[in-house]
Parts: sequence; C-alpha cells; structure tokens
Amino acid sequence: MKPFKFEQATTAVQASQTHADAAPNARFISGGTDILGEIKESVLEVNILVSLAGLSGASEIISSDLGLEIGALVTLARIASDQSIVETYPALAQAAESVATPQIRNVGTLGGNLCQRPRCWYYRSPLFDCLKKGGETCFASDEGNKYHAILGAENCHIVHPSDVAVALLALDATVVVSNASGDRQMPIGDFFVSPDVNMLAENVLEPGEFVSKVKIPKPSSGTRSVYLKAKERQAYDFALSSVAVSLEVRDETITQAHVVLGGVAPVPYSVPQVDSELTGQKIREVDVQAIGQLAVKDAQPLSDNSYKVRLTASMVARAVSRLISE
Amino acid sequence: MATTRDYEPNVVLSNQDYNVVGTRPLRPDGADKVTGRALYGADFAAAGLLSGSVLRSPHAHARIKSIDTSKAEALDGVRAVVTSADFPQGGEGPVVWQRDNVLASDKALYRGHAIAAVAAASPHIAEEAVSLIDVDYEVLTPVTDVQSSMKGDAPILHDSLMTDELGEKADKASNVASHFQHVKGDVKAGFKEADVVIEREFTTKTVHQGYIEPQAATALWNNDGRLHIWCSTQGSFAARDACAKILDIPVSQIRVVPLEIGGGFGGKIDVYLEPVAALLSKKTGTPVKLVMSRADVLQGTGPTPGSYAKIKIGAKKDGTITAAHAYLAMEAGAYPGSPVGAGAMCVLAPYDLENALVDGYDVVVNKPKTAAYRAPGAPNAAFAGEQVIDEVAKAIGMDPIDFRMKNAAKEGTRQVHGPTFPRVGYEEVLEAMKSHPHYNAPLDGPNQGRGVAVGFWFNIGFDSACNIAVNADGTVTLQEGSTDIGGTRASIAMQAAEVLTLPYEKVHPTVVDTDTIGFTAVTGGSRTTFATGWAAYEAAQDVRTKMIDRAAQIWEVDADTVELEDAVFKSKSDPELSMTFAELAGQLGRSGGGITGTAAVSPSGVGGAFAGNIVDVEVDPETGKTEILRFTVVQDAGKAIHPSYVEGQMQGGAVQGIGWALNEEYYMSDSGTMDNVSLLDYRMPTSLDLPMIDTVIVEVANPGHPYGVRGVGEAPIIPPTPAIANAIENAIGTRLFALPMNPAAVAKAVMDK
Ligand SMILES: Cc1cc2nc3c(=O)[nH]c(=O)nc-3n(C[C@H](O)[C@H](O)[C@H](O)COP(=O)(O)OP(=O)(O)OC[C@H]3O[C@@H](n4cnc5c(N)ncnc54)[C@H](O)[C@@H]3O)c2cc1C
Ligand code: SF4
Repeated sequence: MKPFKFEQATTAVQASQTHADAAPNARFISGGTDILGEIKESVLEVNILVSLAGLSGASEIISSDLGLEIGALVTLARIASDQSIVETYPALAQAAESVATPQIRNVGTLGGNLCQRPRCWYYRSPLFDCLKKGGETCFASDEGNKYHAILGAENCHIVHPSDVAVALLALDATVVVSNASGDRQMPIGDFFVSPDVNMLAENVLEPGEFVSKVKIPKPSSGTRSVYLKAKERQAYDFALSSVAVSLEVRDETITQAHVVLGGVAPVPYSVPQVDSELTGQKIREVDVQAIGQLAVKDAQPLSDNSYKVRLTASMVARAVSRLISE
Repeated sequence: MATTRDYEPNVVLSNQDYNVVGTRPLRPDGADKVTGRALYGADFAAAGLLSGSVLRSPHAHARIKSIDTSKAEALDGVRAVVTSADFPQGGEGPVVWQRDNVLASDKALYRGHAIAAVAAASPHIAEEAVSLIDVDYEVLTPVTDVQSSMKGDAPILHDSLMTDELGEKADKASNVASHFQHVKGDVKAGFKEADVVIEREFTTKTVHQGYIEPQAATALWNNDGRLHIWCSTQGSFAARDACAKILDIPVSQIRVVPLEIGGGFGGKIDVYLEPVAALLSKKTGTPVKLVMSRADVLQGTGPTPGSYAKIKIGAKKDGTITAAHAYLAMEAGAYPGSPVGAGAMCVLAPYDLENALVDGYDVVVNKPKTAAYRAPGAPNAAFAGEQVIDEVAKAIGMDPIDFRMKNAAKEGTRQVHGPTFPRVGYEEVLEAMKSHPHYNAPLDGPNQGRGVAVGFWFNIGFDSACNIAVNADGTVTLQEGSTDIGGTRASIAMQAAEVLTLPYEKVHPTVVDTDTIGFTAVTGGSRTTFATGWAAYEAAQDVRTKMIDRAAQIWEVDADTVELEDAVFKSKSDPELSMTFAELAGQLGRSGGGITGTAAVSPSGVGGAFAGNIVDVEVDPETGKTEILRFTVVQDAGKAIHPSYVEGQMQGGAVQGIGWALNEEYYMSDSGTMDNVSLLDYRMPTSLDLPMIDTVIVEVANPGHPYGVRGVGEAPIIPPTPAIANAIENAIGTRLFALPMNPAAVAKAVMDK
C-alpha cells in the first residue's frame, strides 16, 4: 500500500471539486469496504481519497406517494430492514439482505455498492495486468472463468458484482448523480456500461461525479417483486447467478414484467424478450420452465461456467413461479 | 432447517468416573481470548523492532538466474535485504529442501515461493523495497497435479530426484519421489473368491487448513550469539530444531517463545518466516518481525495435497471382504514428503483383511510443499476407500454399517502395513452408530439421502516434559512445552489435578519457552493430551510422593502409612494425624524447602482412534447445492479428559470435512497460479452452512495410558468427505468421484446421469 491523502468533504460541491481536480488519481470513499481492499491488495494506487461520509442529506430514506428516495450513504443493513422497503419493494430489501455479511452490510453503502469494482480474481490480483486495468489481455477468456459472465460480454468477462443493482433495475430505479454544477439523473439501466463501451469503468460517472441518491417509482397495486440469489455458501458470497423479477398482475393477468439477471453479465442484465413474453399471460398459464430457458437463450458460456446457464434458467423459473403463486 | 430432538445431542458413553477427569471446567486461556488480550504472533512488540516483507515468486516454475537487490538496499529506511545466499550452504536432501523452501536458491518451484526478504523501518517501506528487487527468471513449464506430474513427459522439478522404487533407486530424474507397497496375503487369489468386485478412481484437490491467524514471527539474533524467536507455532522445539538445521547452529543457541496460537491444524509445524527473520536480525542487529497476509498463507505455506486414488474391493455375498487393493498417489508439493505414507496406513485400517495390497506414490508438483493437516493423507484415502466400501455393501444388499461390522478390525487384527491392533473401539463405534436415533430416523423428502463412513488414525506418542511446583497457598503451577491449539492447557492440568486430588482450579498451567522446559514434541498427531498429559501425570506423581514424604517427616511416621485423599494427607495408623494439601504446602519452607515435581516421558502405549459419521443431505438437483440436514459424529476417545473439548474436536473435524467435501479447493490456472487467494474465493463454510453437529463419545479405554486416553484431534476429519459423498449418492442416485462436490459438480452429475 502506497501513502495517500484523505480528504473529508462536507459539501457536495467541495467533494466534486476535490475529486475532479485530482483526477484520475482520486477516488471517492463511502464505507470503504470495497476500496480499501483494492488499495491494500495493491490493485489500486490513489493519491487522494475523498470521503463522502460527512455529506448531509445523503443518509436518508424518504418514502412518499411518488415513491422512494434513498440517499447514497444509506447502509445496506438499513435498506434490508427498512419497513417501507421490506413491504413495498421486497426485491430491494432481499437483495440488500443477501450481500456479504452483517459486518459489511452495516458499513457498506448504497452508493458504494453500485460503484464497487469487479470481483474477477485476475482483476483483484496485482499480478495480472489485464484489460480492465489497462493491460493487453483478458486472463479469464480461456480458463479460470468459473465465476465469469455467460451473457453480454465480449473482451472482458466480468460479472457486475452488485446484488442491489439487479433489484433496482427490476424496480425501474433512477440514479441521481451530483457534480460541481448540480445534478443529473438517468434510468439505472443507463448508469451501468459494459466493458465494450468503457473498459476501465463500470458506469458513466465522469471525474468529479458521484451518486447522491437513487429514486424508485411507487409500484402500482398488484405489483410484486422478488430477488433470488444462488451462491456456493450461505453468507459471505457473491452471486453465482441471481434474478430480480417485478410483475404487475391485474385480474390474474400479467400486465407488466421486468426480469433482470445478476452474476452472469458485465452489467445488471435485462432480458426484454422475457418481459414481453410474460406480459399479457394469464398467471395460471405461464410455463415457467420455458421462461427460464428463454432468459438464457443468448448465453455464451466460457470453458468453466456452462453450469451457470441451467442454474440461471432455474433461478428465473423459480422467481417467476414464486411471484405468480403469491 | 430446525430439527426437533428426541434424543440427547451430545452423549458420552463413559467407562469410568474420576474426580476431575471427565468434567468440563473453563479453559485457563479463555478470559484473555474473549477480551482480546491474548498475545498472538503478530502482537509481539519490542524496542527497535523492524518490519520485514518477503518477495514471492510470480511464477510456479522458474530458474532464478540472478537477484539484484541494490535498488531495494538503496531505498531510505531499508536496513537489510537477504536471499538464500545468506544461509549457510551445503548439505543434501531434506535439509536443503527445507532451506530452499524457506528462501528459494536455484529454482522457484511454486507461485508464492519466497525469494528474498527485506527489513525496514516500517511495513510500507519494506513492501516498497520488495518491489524494487529485480529477479531474472527463466520461466519453465509448471506441472500442478499429481497425475500429470507422474507422466513420462512431465516437466521435471528436481534434476537430482530419482524415484525410490520399492527400495531401489532409479537412475533417471523423475517427479515420483518414491513408490512403496504394503502387502498382506494374496490379492489375486482374494479377488477370484469374490462374488462382487468394484474398482473406482477418485481425485481430490489441494485444500488448506485455513487457520484464522496467519503466520507471524519475530527474531532477535543477540550480540551474545543467541537467537530468540517469538512466533505462532505448533511446536516450539520443532521450530527451534528446524531453525538450527537451516542456520547450521547448535540448538542451544536458539530460544523459541511460543505465543498464543490462532489455529494450526498441522499447518504450523513447519517453519517459514522464522529462519528468514533470523537472517534479517543477524544483519541488522535488531529484532525483525515478519507477518504473512492471507494470500501469503494460501500460496506460501503448506496445504494438504491434491491426490489420485484407485480402489478395488472384492466381497462374497455373505459380506466377507476377500481382497482389497488401494493405489494412492499424493502431491508432495515442491519437495518430496507428501502424507501418502500415513494415508496408506489408514485407508484399509478399519477392515480385517486376509488379502490386501496398498501402493503409495509420493509425487512432487509445482505447488507449495504440503504440510500436515489433521490426519494428513487419511481423508484423501478415505474419500476413495469408504465410497467403494459403500458401493460394495450396496451391491451385495447389506446395510453399510453391518457390512463394516462383519469385516471390522479388532484387537489382534494385523494391519496391512504390519502392526497388530491392541484393544481398539471400532466395533463399539459401529454399534453406537447403528443404534443412534439419527441412523433410524426417517428421511422426509425427495432428493434427500443418508450416508455413513468411518475413519482411522493411529495417533502418536513421542517426547513430552512437565514441571510442577507447589505454592505456599496450596495451589500448584504447571509448566509444559506443548503449545495449546485445542484446550490442552486444561486437559493436561486436569490430569495433574486428578493425581494430586486437587480441584482443577488449583492447578495453573503455562506453556513455556524452549529454555524453560525439557524437549517436547509438536502439538500434532493427536498426541498432546495423551503424551504431555502423561508427563503431567508423572510430574504430579513426583509431587505427590514428595508431599507424602514431607508429611511423614513432619509427623515422624513411615511414608507408606500416609495417604492423600481429597486433598488431605492422612496417616493410616493415627486418625489424629491429618493435614490438608494447603496446610502442608504452607509449611514446606520451614520443613525442608519447596517441592517441585518433574517428568520427561516418551510413552509407547499409543491408542489409535476410530470415528464414524452419519450424515443426511438434501440436494437441489437444479442448482446442485447440497444442504447438510443432520450430522452425527461418533468417536472412540479412549477417555475424554475434558468432554467439551473432545466434542469441539469432533465438531471441528466435521466442519473442516464438510468444507473439504462441498467447496474448498485450490483453483489452479494452467500457469500454476492459485486463482482464489482470499477467504472470499477460497470458500470455507460459515455457521449458516452448517447444522448443529451431534456427537457421541465412545470410551474404550486405551490400556497404554493411565486414564485410557487416545488422541482425538485428527480422526474426526477423515469420514466426512466419503460420508457426504455416500449421502449424495443416496439422494440423487449417482456418485461423485472428485472433490469438491460443489454446486457446479453436483449439477453436472445430475445432468450426466
Ligand atoms: C467480503 C465481501 C463480500 C461481499 N459480498 C457482496 C455481495 O454478496 N453482494 C454485493 O452486492 N456486494 C458484496 N460486496 C461488496 C460490498 O457490498 C461493497 O463493498 C459495499 O457495498 C461498498 O460500499 P462502501 O460504502 O463500503 O463503498 P466504498 O468501498 O467506500 O466504495 C466502493 C467504490 O465505490 C466508489 N464510491 C463509493 N461511494 C460512491 C458514490 N456515492 N458515488 C460514486 N462512487 C462511489 C468508491 O470510489 C469505490 O470505488 C462484498 C464485499 C466484501 C468485502
Ligand atoms: S474478465 Fe475482465 S477483469 Fe477479469 S481478467 Fe478478463 S479483462 Fe480482466
């Protein structure tokens, strides 16, 4: 670990300015559960860490008729246990609850979870100067790819590590980004970018920009959601494959559907063909196995991860089946 | 899943009651540990302490052409840089291997192999300095698994290593260090008599002990020539002797002070950092501390081997095994010395066989030199052997426990490698399994299955010493040299208390350094409660005799007329003459001086231990995930000195076995790198992955120990992998022949069915 400066920002403008001025060797830090690991493992060298932890107003959960606003500094533990989230946005609470361990959920924040870096073990080892770190090769393309992507990956085969992002996408969330001149916002699906768009980052943030909150529209009555996560052990594990599903059901008919896959692609992965297949179906007539198969139709597994195809199909089938029998 | 219990979860089938032995007092080290005060290896501090850092090879197999340390030496704050050239040179065989493993000389033989080390004013400077060392490597092709390494065209690790083929040295370099055989009867004839013969092949991956405390060592090579080492070790004398060999100095020049240890499981017997810290201290004249990271631990210390096994067993329809052949090949890692020898002694041990053959192969590969891990070699062997036993039992339509009972080894059975069993408790273990409510409970659901398996570990004796001193207040202090990784301070003190008829609380045990006590072998081989406990028993007898003599002298009576009972000395002839232990202790100074007892033992009456598991699993056929629903461990402890700590060993062995069965593995890339070098990616089970593990302690006293103790630390890790494999087979109707049986592997087995 190399020495670095630590700057405690008190206002959004100050945070943004300090970061922008020191780019590209500045990073934001919120809970530190991800970034400090990167620094200690010598995967990342920074000159300055700009702490967002002291920003006012970023630690609130505001629930209204319009929907929900969650500040970027809200911890995963709070999201998992917040009454309004548990009741109205169950997929989100379940996703937050499924992260890591209680210790990490108590410290890790929403903003940090969305902006955490990939968990590819070559990325996380200082020994491998791979594409994602500006190098020439992907070490996972031919071997060592058991936990890598089966969908939507070209050169770099990371899976996006965030559980929460998968649920937020299924719930049609919007990300609010702050910079020195104010805010901009975008649907969460546009926030994440695949390595083919930008090899060195997983989102659209520019220097000086950080996530300040996430907004979720209030679901109509009749909407139900669920998040399921397959992992090798029951705690302290990322998803082998996960799925968030949100269904709006009226008169026993699915009127809207959003199925999102996690742990299988470089970004939280929407499968629009599944959404349109489900929409309009009578819940009693849904063939969940066929829906599962459809979700992985485009899968291109690597040498060690073809198990993820069937696993993901089965996770989708289970999630849909759970919701239509609710 | 919550199970309602209609039985006692932890049962002791006791053979004899004592006052202290068999009770469950608090451990003397407990308070310090739960309050965070215990001093572990990395906590050690000293004036002028320097921090060290180790440069490790990025290649799994490479010739080291040159090492340029000049840039590192020039960095501000760097005090010394050492390489293998700083060790005394010369010698051959094991000492060279040991030395080269600590700092590579001509070749780096695994990714993570230590190459050079730096001492500096701070850990950050040391780390930076390490990155300034230039090593010129000629990168060679690595070979990282036992089967590839045995092939004729495999890259050779050691040009001078020739196979020891059944006692004869071959004349060509090979990665097979040795091939040995144990033969009993005539297997060919035996297989001819069989109605059913089953032969299967199995593989296991490298796994790590996973102790929570990484290795840490501080060395001070003093101006007077004496070397002091403070470290986390399972054997302070073993560490001392290894350092003496590597540094080529007399053992008397070294003092090793064992600090509190955060787990070892066999992995903290070998030295890694100690000799390097010593070299750095010699160069700088100040104490130097080296501490490993988790990645260093996984890549730079000794795990237990990956292995290949082929097992063939034949039986008659009536259940008699007519012949068995076990072929075992185990990875030694970078230097010869896999645990295949122990595996070969254990694989068929539970069975009384007329015809048997065991072939063992010790094979070097480009991975860290393996170290001991609980019953080293035996779990690898049992994963193979106990599955074929299960399959044979099924093929002839016999209950798997009945099949084992029919062929059970017992007192007088000659083992395949020669020795005859003394009294052992295997049949009693099988009986306890058969009659356990778990074995007879119905399974309730599809994709559930139950499996059983057993394991044997021989345990060891070796040297131990103990000193006991009587305090004026009637307590005693006890000094011993066995570092405490499993509650042995308590189990040793209890044996002394029993002899002295004192309450346990009156005995204060301390683990001391190598200058303070007689030679004591490692805390390993399940020997500590047996052998150091025996030393404590003898030292306590010494104290008892001297105290009785003193009472007799004070009373002016014959010593044989004085007895000690319930901490009171009494004269058999004169009921008036009576004095408590504390009263006598208070008078020692005035009546001839203090009393100490001492003993050094090397007991031979080691008692082997059998353990058995019953396990229920539920497999999700789509995700491949196996849930352990219920797990029962039955084990012969001989005598459980402290039943809670015996249960802890049984449960701990089961937990590690479950991890080994379902998840743990060194995930190796073709370049010979371990990909999963963190505890996030190297998946040991968490509490949420485990059910309550029930235990049944069977006590069939070991006639070779005063209280009947057998070792208990290792046997319980042997049966879990085959028991779980057998349970999975019963759940999904197909058998897994490779570890780990992780979700991807199980899902594939279901698909391929
Ligand atoms: C052992 C372990 C297991 C884990 N398991 C899981 C899991 O199963 N599922 C899962 O989803 N996650 C998992 N995680 C990741 C964990 O959820 C994240 O580390 C945590 O949510 C990050 O939050 P933080 O506040 O600590 O982020 P930090 O570590 O402070 O920051 C993380 C990254 O985000 C950036 N950043 C932080 N806040 C902002 C912001 N507001 N705007 C823009 N950028 C920002 C930082 O620069 C940094 O690059 C695991 C982590 C660990 C260490
Ligand atoms: S998958 Fe991406 S992060 Fe991993 S090695 Fe390949 S390029 Fe690097």
